[in-house]
Amino acid sequence: MAWLGASLVVLSDGRRGLALGTFLAGAGVAVVAFPTAGLGGSAALAVGGLVAAAGRLVAGPQGWAILPAGSTPRLVLCVAGGLVALWVGLGVTSGDGASLRFGVISMIGFGSARVLSSHDQSVVLSALALISLAVGAAVGLAAPGSSVVPYVAAAVIAAGSAWIPIKVPSAA
Amino acid sequence: MRPEAVELVALAVAALVLVLAFAPVGASRGALLAKGGAGVAGTAAVVAAPAFDIALLVMLALALLHAAIEGRRSFAARLRLPVLAVALLALGTVFARVEGPDVLHRFAAVGFAAGLAAALGLLPYIHTFEPEEQVTSSPVAWLGFVGPAVATVVVADAQGLLTADAGAVFSAVLLGLGLLNMAWGSIATWLTENDAAAWRYSFIADWGLVLSGFGITLADGQRASLIVLFAIVLGRLPLYITSRNAVRDKVKTERPINLLVAAALAGSAPFAGFSARVLLLRGATQLYWPLALVLAAGMLLWLPGSLRLGRSLGVPRGRQAVAVAIVLAISVAVGLYPLPLLTVARM
Repeated sequence: MAWLGASLVVLSDGRRGLALGTFLAGAGVAVVAFPTAGLGGSAALAVGGLVAAAGRLVAGPQGWAILPAGSTPRLVLCVAGGLVALWVGLGVTSGDGASLRFGVISMIGFGSARVLSSHDQSVVLSALALISLAVGAAVGLAAPGSSVVPYVAAAVIAAGSAWIPIKVPSAA
Repeated sequence: MRPEAVELVALAVAALVLVLAFAPVGASRGALLAKGGAGVAGTAAVVAAPAFDIALLVMLALALLHAAIEGRRSFAARLRLPVLAVALLALGTVFARVEGPDVLHRFAAVGFAAGLAAALGLLPYIHTFEPEEQVTSSPVAWLGFVGPAVATVVVADAQGLLTADAGAVFSAVLLGLGLLNMAWGSIATWLTENDAAAWRYSFIADWGLVLSGFGITLADGQRASLIVLFAIVLGRLPLYITSRNAVRDKVKTERPINLLVAAALAGSAPFAGFSARVLLLRGATQLYWPLALVLAAGMLLWLPGSLRLGRSLGVPRGRQAVAVAIVLAISVAVGLYPLPLLTVARM
Protein backbone atom coordinates (compact mmCIF):
# COMPACT_ATOMS: atom_id res chain seq x y z
CA MET A 1 0.00 0.00 0.00
CA ALA A 2 2.90 2.37 0.74
CA TRP A 3 4.35 1.58 -2.68
CA LEU A 4 0.98 2.14 -4.32
CA GLY A 5 0.54 5.49 -2.59
CA ALA A 6 4.05 6.63 -3.48
CA SER A 7 3.45 5.49 -7.06
CA LEU A 8 0.26 7.56 -7.20
CA VAL A 9 2.20 10.63 -6.10
CA VAL A 10 4.69 9.93 -8.89
CA LEU A 11 1.97 9.38 -11.50
CA SER A 12 -0.39 12.25 -10.59
CA ASP A 13 -0.30 15.95 -11.27
CA GLY A 14 -3.76 16.82 -9.90
CA ARG A 15 -4.77 17.54 -6.33
CA ARG A 16 -7.02 14.50 -5.97
CA GLY A 17 -4.42 12.06 -7.24
CA LEU A 18 -1.73 13.57 -5.01
CA ALA A 19 -4.07 13.52 -2.01
CA LEU A 20 -5.04 9.89 -2.54
CA GLY A 21 -1.39 8.92 -3.01
CA THR A 22 -0.31 10.73 0.15
CA PHE A 23 -3.14 9.16 2.14
CA LEU A 24 -2.40 5.63 0.89
CA ALA A 25 1.32 6.01 1.50
CA GLY A 26 0.72 7.30 5.02
CA ALA A 27 -1.71 4.51 5.82
CA GLY A 28 0.55 1.89 4.26
CA VAL A 29 3.67 2.91 6.10
CA ALA A 30 1.67 3.13 9.34
CA VAL A 31 0.57 -0.47 8.90
CA VAL A 32 4.04 -1.85 8.16
CA ALA A 33 5.57 0.24 10.96
CA PHE A 34 3.07 -1.07 13.53
CA PRO A 35 5.21 -3.96 14.87
CA THR A 36 8.07 -1.57 15.70
CA ALA A 37 6.27 1.72 16.24
CA GLY A 38 3.39 0.44 18.29
CA LEU A 39 -0.10 1.87 18.30
CA GLY A 40 0.93 5.46 19.13
CA GLY A 41 3.61 5.70 16.46
CA SER A 42 1.50 4.05 13.77
CA ALA A 43 -1.46 6.25 14.58
CA ALA A 44 0.72 9.34 14.37
CA LEU A 45 1.99 8.34 10.92
CA ALA A 46 -1.52 7.59 9.70
CA VAL A 47 -2.92 10.87 11.00
CA GLY A 48 0.04 12.75 9.50
CA GLY A 49 -0.67 11.20 6.12
CA LEU A 50 -4.38 11.94 6.45
CA VAL A 51 -3.90 15.62 7.34
CA ALA A 52 -1.32 16.04 4.56
CA ALA A 53 -3.76 14.47 2.11
CA ALA A 54 -6.53 16.79 3.27
CA GLY A 55 -4.25 19.75 2.71
CA ARG A 56 -3.45 18.55 -0.78
CA LEU A 57 -7.17 18.43 -1.61
CA VAL A 58 -7.58 22.17 -1.17
CA ALA A 59 -4.60 23.38 -3.21
CA GLY A 60 -2.88 22.60 -6.48
CA PRO A 61 -4.09 21.78 -9.98
CA GLN A 62 -7.71 20.60 -10.16
CA GLY A 63 -8.78 16.99 -10.74
CA TRP A 64 -6.99 13.67 -10.67
CA ALA A 65 -4.54 14.04 -13.56
CA ILE A 66 -3.30 10.48 -13.10
CA LEU A 67 -1.07 9.27 -15.92
CA PRO A 68 -1.17 12.46 -18.00
CA ALA A 69 0.28 12.38 -21.52
CA GLY A 70 4.02 11.70 -21.54
CA SER A 71 4.08 9.88 -18.23
CA THR A 72 5.50 6.61 -19.54
CA PRO A 73 8.90 7.23 -17.88
CA ARG A 74 7.12 7.75 -14.56
CA LEU A 75 5.25 4.47 -14.99
CA VAL A 76 8.51 2.69 -15.75
CA LEU A 77 10.04 4.30 -12.65
CA CYS A 78 7.22 3.04 -10.47
CA VAL A 79 7.51 -0.55 -11.70
CA ALA A 80 11.31 -0.72 -11.92
CA GLY A 81 11.84 1.28 -8.73
CA GLY A 82 9.37 -0.92 -6.91
CA LEU A 83 11.19 -4.04 -8.06
CA VAL A 84 14.55 -2.65 -6.97
CA ALA A 85 13.13 -1.64 -3.58
CA LEU A 86 11.59 -5.10 -3.23
CA TRP A 87 14.90 -6.75 -4.11
CA VAL A 88 16.85 -4.63 -1.64
CA GLY A 89 14.22 -4.92 1.10
CA LEU A 90 13.72 -8.66 0.82
CA GLY A 91 16.71 -10.12 -1.02
CA VAL A 92 19.79 -8.05 -0.26
CA THR A 93 19.00 -7.23 3.36
CA SER A 94 18.03 -9.69 6.05
CA GLY A 95 16.31 -9.71 9.42
CA ASP A 96 12.83 -8.78 10.55
CA GLY A 97 10.86 -5.91 9.05
CA ALA A 98 11.25 -6.62 5.34
CA SER A 99 7.93 -4.95 4.57
CA LEU A 100 9.00 -1.85 6.51
CA ARG A 101 12.30 -1.72 4.60
CA PHE A 102 10.45 -2.07 1.29
CA GLY A 103 7.95 0.64 2.20
CA VAL A 104 10.56 3.07 3.48
CA ILE A 105 12.92 2.61 0.52
CA SER A 106 10.03 2.95 -1.97
CA MET A 107 8.73 6.15 -0.39
CA ILE A 108 12.13 7.79 -0.07
CA GLY A 109 13.14 6.79 -3.60
CA PHE A 110 9.90 7.84 -5.25
CA GLY A 111 9.70 11.03 -3.20
CA SER A 112 13.23 11.98 -4.27
CA ALA A 113 12.48 11.27 -7.90
CA ARG A 114 9.34 13.41 -7.76
CA VAL A 115 11.10 16.29 -6.02
CA LEU A 116 13.74 16.35 -8.73
CA SER A 117 11.36 16.04 -11.67
CA SER A 118 8.67 18.61 -10.88
CA HIS A 119 8.49 22.38 -10.56
CA ASP A 120 4.97 22.29 -9.15
CA GLN A 121 4.62 23.36 -5.53
CA SER A 122 1.90 20.86 -4.60
CA VAL A 123 3.84 17.96 -6.14
CA VAL A 124 7.05 18.88 -4.30
CA LEU A 125 5.17 19.21 -1.02
CA SER A 126 3.51 15.83 -1.53
CA ALA A 127 6.93 14.29 -2.09
CA LEU A 128 8.21 16.02 1.05
CA ALA A 129 5.34 14.51 3.03
CA LEU A 130 6.24 11.03 1.73
CA ILE A 131 9.89 11.45 2.70
CA SER A 132 8.99 12.82 6.12
CA LEU A 133 6.70 9.88 6.90
CA ALA A 134 9.31 7.42 5.62
CA VAL A 135 12.06 8.97 7.77
CA GLY A 136 9.76 8.65 10.78
CA ALA A 137 8.90 5.05 10.02
CA ALA A 138 12.58 4.19 9.47
CA VAL A 139 13.23 4.82 13.16
CA GLY A 140 11.77 1.37 13.77
CA LEU A 141 14.60 -0.24 11.79
CA ALA A 142 17.10 0.91 14.40
CA ALA A 143 15.26 0.87 17.66
CA PRO A 144 12.03 -1.11 17.72
CA GLY A 145 9.79 0.10 20.49
CA SER A 146 11.46 3.51 20.70
CA SER A 147 9.52 6.54 21.89
CA VAL A 148 6.67 8.02 19.92
CA VAL A 149 8.47 11.36 19.48
CA PRO A 150 10.09 10.75 16.07
CA TYR A 151 6.82 9.41 14.65
CA VAL A 152 4.92 12.45 15.89
CA ALA A 153 7.63 14.78 14.56
CA ALA A 154 7.45 13.12 11.14
CA ALA A 155 3.67 13.35 11.16
CA VAL A 156 3.70 17.03 12.14
CA ILE A 157 6.11 17.92 9.34
CA ALA A 158 4.15 15.91 6.76
CA ALA A 159 0.88 17.48 7.90
CA GLY A 160 2.33 20.98 8.24
CA SER A 161 3.85 20.88 4.77
CA ALA A 162 0.37 20.77 3.24
CA TRP A 163 -0.84 23.85 5.09
CA ILE A 164 2.19 26.12 5.29
CA PRO A 165 1.65 29.50 3.56
CA ILE A 166 4.04 29.95 0.64
CA LYS A 167 5.22 33.36 -0.60
CA VAL A 168 5.33 33.66 -4.38
CA PRO A 169 8.70 34.56 -5.95
CA SER A 170 9.20 38.32 -6.11
CA ALA A 171 10.91 40.27 -8.86
CA ALA A 172 12.55 42.72 -6.45
CA MET B 1 25.56 17.32 21.97
CA ARG B 2 28.79 17.67 20.02
CA PRO B 3 30.82 20.57 21.48
CA GLU B 4 32.05 21.72 18.06
CA ALA B 5 28.49 21.88 16.79
CA VAL B 6 27.40 23.89 19.83
CA GLU B 7 30.35 26.22 19.24
CA LEU B 8 29.31 26.71 15.63
CA VAL B 9 25.78 27.59 16.71
CA ALA B 10 27.28 30.18 19.07
CA LEU B 11 29.37 31.53 16.19
CA ALA B 12 26.23 31.78 14.06
CA VAL B 13 24.59 33.81 16.83
CA ALA B 14 27.66 36.07 16.92
CA ALA B 15 27.51 36.51 13.15
CA LEU B 16 23.82 37.39 13.38
CA VAL B 17 24.50 39.97 16.09
CA LEU B 18 27.31 41.45 14.02
CA VAL B 19 25.15 41.68 10.93
CA LEU B 20 22.25 43.18 12.89
CA ALA B 21 24.48 45.77 14.54
CA PHE B 22 26.25 46.83 11.39
CA ALA B 23 23.65 46.06 8.73
CA PRO B 24 23.92 48.17 5.58
CA VAL B 25 21.66 51.20 5.34
CA GLY B 26 18.24 50.23 4.04
CA ALA B 27 18.29 46.69 5.40
CA SER B 28 15.34 45.73 7.59
CA ARG B 29 16.72 44.70 10.95
CA GLY B 30 13.39 43.26 12.05
CA ALA B 31 13.22 40.91 9.08
CA LEU B 32 16.88 39.99 9.50
CA LEU B 33 16.34 39.22 13.17
CA ALA B 34 13.24 37.13 12.52
CA LYS B 35 14.73 35.10 9.68
CA GLY B 36 18.19 34.84 11.21
CA GLY B 37 16.72 33.95 14.59
CA ALA B 38 14.60 31.23 13.01
CA GLY B 39 17.71 29.91 11.25
CA VAL B 40 19.68 29.83 14.50
CA ALA B 41 16.79 28.14 16.32
CA GLY B 42 16.50 25.51 13.61
CA THR B 43 20.24 24.89 13.59
CA ALA B 44 20.26 24.58 17.37
CA ALA B 45 17.41 22.08 17.15
CA VAL B 46 19.40 19.96 14.68
CA VAL B 47 22.38 20.04 17.03
CA ALA B 48 20.26 19.24 20.09
CA ALA B 49 18.31 16.40 18.44
CA PRO B 50 18.72 13.25 20.54
CA ALA B 51 18.83 10.96 17.49
CA PHE B 52 19.94 11.32 13.88
CA ASP B 53 16.42 10.59 12.60
CA ILE B 54 15.04 13.53 14.54
CA ALA B 55 17.89 15.72 13.28
CA LEU B 56 16.87 14.76 9.72
CA LEU B 57 13.26 15.70 10.42
CA VAL B 58 14.33 19.05 11.86
CA MET B 59 16.42 19.64 8.73
CA LEU B 60 13.35 18.91 6.64
CA ALA B 61 11.31 21.42 8.64
CA LEU B 62 14.10 23.97 8.34
CA ALA B 63 14.25 23.48 4.57
CA LEU B 64 10.49 23.90 4.34
CA LEU B 65 10.53 27.13 6.34
CA HIS B 66 13.48 28.48 4.37
CA ALA B 67 11.74 27.76 1.08
CA ALA B 68 8.51 29.35 2.31
CA ILE B 69 9.98 32.81 2.90
CA GLU B 70 9.86 35.35 0.12
CA GLY B 71 12.60 35.10 -2.46
CA ARG B 72 13.40 35.35 -6.13
CA ARG B 73 13.67 31.65 -6.85
CA SER B 74 10.58 29.48 -7.04
CA PHE B 75 9.47 27.50 -4.00
CA ALA B 76 10.23 24.20 -5.72
CA ALA B 77 13.71 25.35 -6.76
CA ARG B 78 14.56 26.29 -3.17
CA LEU B 79 13.14 23.16 -1.61
CA ARG B 80 14.38 20.59 -4.11
CA LEU B 81 17.96 19.99 -3.00
CA PRO B 82 17.49 20.18 0.78
CA VAL B 83 14.71 17.59 0.48
CA LEU B 84 16.93 15.44 -1.72
CA ALA B 85 19.63 15.81 0.90
CA VAL B 86 17.36 14.50 3.64
CA ALA B 87 16.28 11.65 1.38
CA LEU B 88 19.89 10.66 0.66
CA LEU B 89 20.85 10.90 4.32
CA ALA B 90 17.79 8.84 5.27
CA LEU B 91 18.66 6.16 2.71
CA GLY B 92 22.21 6.17 4.06
CA THR B 93 20.83 5.69 7.55
CA VAL B 94 18.61 2.80 6.45
CA PHE B 95 21.48 1.06 4.65
CA ALA B 96 23.82 1.61 7.61
CA ARG B 97 21.35 0.06 10.05
CA VAL B 98 20.04 -2.99 8.22
CA GLU B 99 21.73 -6.36 8.18
CA GLY B 100 23.26 -7.11 4.82
CA PRO B 101 26.45 -7.40 2.78
CA ASP B 102 29.35 -4.95 3.24
CA VAL B 103 28.61 -3.25 -0.04
CA LEU B 104 25.34 -1.98 1.43
CA HIS B 105 27.25 -0.16 4.15
CA ARG B 106 29.51 1.36 1.53
CA PHE B 107 26.40 2.61 -0.26
CA ALA B 108 25.40 4.11 3.07
CA ALA B 109 28.71 5.97 3.20
CA VAL B 110 28.14 7.34 -0.31
CA GLY B 111 24.59 8.33 0.68
CA PHE B 112 25.84 10.28 3.69
CA ALA B 113 28.49 12.13 1.68
CA ALA B 114 26.09 12.89 -1.19
CA GLY B 115 23.40 14.01 1.24
CA LEU B 116 25.83 16.33 2.98
CA ALA B 117 26.85 17.89 -0.34
CA ALA B 118 23.20 18.29 -1.38
CA ALA B 119 22.24 19.91 1.92
CA LEU B 120 25.01 22.47 1.68
CA GLY B 121 24.64 23.08 -2.06
CA LEU B 122 28.08 21.84 -3.02
CA LEU B 123 29.11 20.09 -6.20
CA PRO B 124 27.62 17.96 -7.64
CA TYR B 125 24.38 19.31 -6.11
CA ILE B 126 24.86 23.03 -6.54
CA HIS B 127 21.77 25.10 -5.72
CA THR B 128 20.30 27.55 -8.22
CA PHE B 129 21.45 31.10 -7.50
CA GLU B 130 19.92 34.52 -8.13
CA PRO B 131 22.52 37.27 -7.61
CA GLU B 132 19.92 39.83 -6.51
CA GLU B 133 18.18 37.55 -4.01
CA GLN B 134 18.30 38.45 -0.33
CA VAL B 135 20.93 36.53 1.64
CA THR B 136 18.30 35.07 4.00
CA SER B 137 16.46 33.28 1.20
CA SER B 138 19.50 32.49 -0.98
CA PRO B 139 21.67 29.34 -0.96
CA VAL B 140 24.28 31.31 1.00
CA ALA B 141 22.06 30.86 4.07
CA TRP B 142 22.83 27.13 3.88
CA LEU B 143 26.47 27.60 2.90
CA GLY B 144 27.41 30.18 5.49
CA PHE B 145 24.92 30.18 8.33
CA VAL B 146 22.98 26.93 8.85
CA GLY B 147 25.36 24.57 7.09
CA PRO B 148 28.44 24.57 9.35
CA ALA B 149 26.69 23.21 12.46
CA VAL B 150 24.49 20.88 10.41
CA ALA B 151 27.54 19.46 8.63
CA THR B 152 29.35 18.66 11.87
CA VAL B 153 26.25 16.83 13.13
CA VAL B 154 25.90 14.85 9.89
CA VAL B 155 29.58 13.88 9.77
CA ALA B 156 29.73 12.89 13.44
CA ASP B 157 26.51 10.86 13.31
CA ALA B 158 27.47 9.22 10.03
CA GLN B 159 30.80 8.12 11.45
CA GLY B 160 28.95 6.71 14.45
CA LEU B 161 26.59 4.69 12.27
CA LEU B 162 29.12 3.32 9.77
CA THR B 163 31.39 0.33 10.19
CA ALA B 164 35.17 0.87 10.06
CA ASP B 165 35.34 -0.21 6.42
CA ALA B 166 32.42 2.00 5.39
CA GLY B 167 33.84 4.85 7.49
CA ALA B 168 36.99 4.71 5.38
CA VAL B 169 34.85 4.93 2.26
CA PHE B 170 33.02 7.91 3.75
CA SER B 171 36.32 9.69 4.42
CA ALA B 172 37.56 8.96 0.92
CA VAL B 173 34.37 10.31 -0.67
CA LEU B 174 34.57 13.44 1.50
CA LEU B 175 38.17 13.97 0.42
CA GLY B 176 37.23 13.58 -3.23
CA LEU B 177 34.30 15.97 -2.89
CA GLY B 178 36.54 18.38 -1.00
CA LEU B 179 39.15 18.49 -3.74
CA LEU B 180 36.47 18.87 -6.41
CA ASN B 181 34.79 21.75 -4.61
CA MET B 182 38.11 23.43 -3.84
CA ALA B 183 39.14 23.42 -7.47
CA TRP B 184 35.76 24.28 -8.95
CA GLY B 185 34.88 26.88 -6.35
CA SER B 186 38.15 28.76 -6.48
CA ILE B 187 38.38 28.77 -10.28
CA ALA B 188 34.75 29.84 -10.60
CA THR B 189 35.32 32.62 -8.03
CA TRP B 190 38.07 33.90 -10.25
CA LEU B 191 36.44 33.54 -13.65
CA THR B 192 32.66 33.88 -13.27
CA GLU B 193 31.15 37.08 -14.67
CA ASN B 194 28.94 38.15 -11.78
CA ASP B 195 30.53 39.33 -8.52
CA ALA B 196 27.68 38.01 -6.34
CA ALA B 197 28.07 34.60 -7.98
CA ALA B 198 31.81 34.85 -7.35
CA TRP B 199 31.13 35.29 -3.63
CA ARG B 200 28.86 32.25 -3.66
CA TYR B 201 31.56 30.14 -5.37
CA SER B 202 34.08 31.32 -2.78
CA PHE B 203 31.91 29.74 -0.08
CA ILE B 204 31.95 26.51 -2.07
CA ALA B 205 35.75 26.64 -2.30
CA ASP B 206 36.01 27.07 1.47
CA TRP B 207 33.69 24.13 1.94
CA GLY B 208 36.12 22.12 -0.19
CA LEU B 209 38.71 22.72 2.53
CA VAL B 210 36.21 21.74 5.22
CA LEU B 211 35.30 18.47 3.50
CA SER B 212 38.99 17.69 2.95
CA GLY B 213 39.57 18.24 6.66
CA PHE B 214 36.66 15.97 7.54
CA GLY B 215 38.09 13.38 5.16
CA ILE B 216 41.50 13.47 6.83
CA THR B 217 40.48 11.52 9.87
CA LEU B 218 43.43 12.70 11.97
CA ALA B 219 43.04 15.37 14.66
CA ASP B 220 44.75 18.03 12.53
CA GLY B 221 42.15 17.56 9.79
CA GLN B 222 39.26 18.02 12.21
CA ARG B 223 40.92 21.10 13.72
CA ALA B 224 41.49 22.59 10.29
CA SER B 225 37.83 22.01 9.40
CA LEU B 226 36.66 23.80 12.53
CA ILE B 227 38.86 26.83 11.86
CA VAL B 228 37.68 27.06 8.25
CA LEU B 229 34.07 26.82 9.46
CA PHE B 230 34.82 29.65 11.87
CA ALA B 231 36.28 31.65 8.97
CA ILE B 232 33.11 31.02 6.94
CA VAL B 233 30.61 31.97 9.66
CA LEU B 234 32.42 34.89 11.23
CA GLY B 235 34.53 35.97 8.26
CA ARG B 236 33.30 35.32 4.78
CA LEU B 237 29.58 35.62 5.59
CA PRO B 238 29.71 39.08 7.25
CA LEU B 239 32.09 40.32 4.55
CA TYR B 240 29.73 39.05 1.85
CA ILE B 241 26.80 40.85 3.46
CA THR B 242 28.88 44.02 3.77
CA SER B 243 29.82 43.82 0.11
CA ARG B 244 26.22 43.52 -1.16
CA ASN B 245 25.68 47.22 -1.87
CA ALA B 246 29.00 47.64 -3.65
CA VAL B 247 28.40 44.49 -5.68
CA ARG B 248 24.96 45.72 -6.71
CA ASP B 249 26.38 49.12 -7.72
CA LYS B 250 29.32 47.41 -9.47
CA VAL B 251 31.82 49.50 -7.47
CA LYS B 252 35.40 48.26 -7.54
CA THR B 253 38.21 49.85 -5.55
CA GLU B 254 41.86 49.06 -4.94
CA ARG B 255 42.60 50.55 -1.54
CA PRO B 256 44.65 48.96 1.27
CA ILE B 257 41.44 47.76 2.95
CA ASN B 258 40.56 45.81 -0.19
CA LEU B 259 43.95 44.15 -0.11
CA LEU B 260 43.55 43.29 3.57
CA VAL B 261 40.14 41.74 2.94
CA ALA B 262 41.54 39.81 -0.01
CA ALA B 263 44.36 38.50 2.20
CA ALA B 264 41.88 37.40 4.84
CA LEU B 265 39.68 35.66 2.27
CA ALA B 266 42.69 33.95 0.68
CA GLY B 267 43.84 32.54 3.99
CA SER B 268 47.09 34.47 4.20
CA ALA B 269 49.03 34.90 7.42
CA PRO B 270 48.15 36.08 10.03
CA PHE B 271 44.44 35.48 9.37
CA ALA B 272 42.48 32.43 10.56
CA GLY B 273 42.51 30.73 7.17
CA PHE B 274 46.29 30.44 7.33
CA SER B 275 46.40 28.35 10.49
CA ALA B 276 43.65 26.14 9.05
CA ARG B 277 45.68 25.57 5.91
CA VAL B 278 48.82 24.75 7.89
CA LEU B 279 46.91 22.20 9.98
CA LEU B 280 45.32 20.71 6.87
CA LEU B 281 48.66 20.31 5.13
CA ARG B 282 50.18 18.79 8.24
CA GLY B 283 47.33 16.30 8.54
CA ALA B 284 47.53 15.44 4.85
CA THR B 285 51.29 14.89 5.13
CA GLN B 286 50.77 12.47 7.99
CA LEU B 287 48.05 10.62 6.08
CA TYR B 288 49.57 10.45 2.58
CA TRP B 289 52.11 13.09 1.58
CA PRO B 290 51.15 13.43 -2.14
CA LEU B 291 47.73 14.58 -0.92
CA ALA B 292 49.43 17.55 0.74
CA LEU B 293 50.94 18.50 -2.63
CA VAL B 294 47.52 18.45 -4.29
CA LEU B 295 46.01 20.48 -1.45
CA ALA B 296 48.83 23.03 -1.56
CA ALA B 297 48.37 23.47 -5.31
CA GLY B 298 44.63 23.88 -4.80
CA MET B 299 45.17 26.50 -2.09
CA LEU B 300 47.08 28.69 -4.54
CA LEU B 301 43.87 28.96 -6.57
CA TRP B 302 42.35 31.12 -3.80
CA LEU B 303 44.59 34.10 -4.65
CA PRO B 304 43.08 35.50 -7.88
CA GLY B 305 39.51 34.98 -6.73
CA SER B 306 40.17 36.60 -3.35
CA LEU B 307 41.74 39.65 -4.97
CA ARG B 308 38.63 39.99 -7.07
CA LEU B 309 36.33 39.67 -4.05
CA GLY B 310 38.42 42.16 -2.07
CA ARG B 311 38.02 44.72 -4.85
CA SER B 312 34.27 44.08 -5.03
CA LEU B 313 33.87 45.21 -1.41
CA GLY B 314 34.28 48.87 -2.40
CA VAL B 315 35.35 51.28 0.32
CA PRO B 316 33.33 50.46 3.44
CA ARG B 317 32.21 53.55 5.35
CA GLY B 318 30.54 54.19 8.70
CA ARG B 319 29.03 51.09 10.26
CA GLN B 320 30.26 48.83 7.52
CA ALA B 321 33.85 49.95 8.04
CA VAL B 322 33.49 49.06 11.73
CA ALA B 323 32.05 45.65 10.81
CA VAL B 324 34.93 44.93 8.43
CA ALA B 325 37.46 46.01 11.07
CA ILE B 326 35.88 43.73 13.68
CA VAL B 327 35.83 40.76 11.30
CA LEU B 328 39.46 41.25 10.35
CA ALA B 329 40.52 41.70 13.99
CA ILE B 330 38.75 38.51 15.08
CA SER B 331 40.27 36.64 12.16
CA VAL B 332 43.78 37.83 13.09
CA ALA B 333 43.19 36.88 16.73
CA VAL B 334 42.09 33.34 15.83
CA GLY B 335 44.83 33.06 13.22
CA LEU B 336 47.53 33.92 15.77
CA TYR B 337 46.04 31.99 18.68
CA PRO B 338 43.43 29.39 17.65
CA LEU B 339 43.74 27.37 20.86
CA PRO B 340 40.66 28.80 22.64
CA LEU B 341 38.48 27.99 19.62
CA LEU B 342 39.80 24.43 19.54
CA THR B 343 39.67 23.99 23.31
CA VAL B 344 35.99 24.89 23.49
CA ALA B 345 35.37 22.23 20.83
CA ARG B 346 37.52 19.80 22.84
CA MET B 347 39.94 19.26 19.96
